[in-house]
Amino acid sequence: MGIIDQLNSAGAMPVLEKMIRFAGARHTLITHNIANLETPNFQPLDVDPASFQAKLAEAVDDRRNVNGGVSGGLEFASTREVEVLSGGRLVLNPRTSSGNILMHDRNNRDLERTMQALVENASMFRVATDLLRSRTTMLRNAMSERVA
Amino acid sequence: MAVISANIANADTILDSSGNLNPYKKRILNFAPGDPSSADPVGRQFGVHVSEIGKDENAIRLKYEPGSKYADENGYVPYPDINPQLEQINAMSAARAYEANVVAAETTKTMMAQVLRLIG
Repeated sequence: MGIIDQLNSAGAMPVLEKMIRFAGARHTLITHNIANLETPNFQPLDVDPASFQAKLAEAVDDRRNVNGGVSGGLEFASTREVEVLSGGRLVLNPRTSSGNILMHDRNNRDLERTMQALVENASMFRVATDLLRSRTTMLRNAMSERVA
Repeated sequence: MAVISANIANADTILDSSGNLNPYKKRILNFAPGDPSSADPVGRQFGVHVSEIGKDENAIRLKYEPGSKYADENGYVPYPDINPQLEQINAMSAARAYEANVVAAETTKTMMAQVLRLIG
């Protein structure tokens, strides 16, 4: 493994990268649901962030068992909802929600829950990008031999 | 919102642009998922587009106005069957959906800015 790969897979960086990829892909689904709030027969699509986080936690535990979790790639196994492609790209296979009230146009939208999902997902994205930025800032400072 | 405005504005329009008796037909707008105009195959799956703007040909109500020159032999004049209250509710619903989409666009913009700050 080259030095650049080692830097990119150090500490929490692979985990944060997965979080950002997942939140970015889920954001596409949530905005798709918002765009179709008034579309007849539309059924909102979503994936379960809790199951993704549980799988991510398993992958982190596996990494810790191998080398203490200080470095190395994260082996994230594909699930029914989250598929991992080569290069680490995530593809979501969403499901339709069936818990909402069916409107007269056969759209079972729930505006409040959709907006809540949007905000929660954006918050998760923000936390991950903020943490990743602090890591990259630390690396940049180390490379330039500066004290933060 | 433009379709709803046109329906409200023409709630009492009984003549066409040529001045002939032809009551305005209520317009009905239908959405469908996806964006056919997107160049990206993945992008075509997401979003929304207007699938059609139809006319409700049966949305006519007869009003008894025997003195009108447009009245039929029984004294009835055909008017568009447009309910302003219903159109107002549709307008409120459209405004709410518009606001939600603006919030989604703002959130997307914020997320993109956060990613750009990673390299900045």
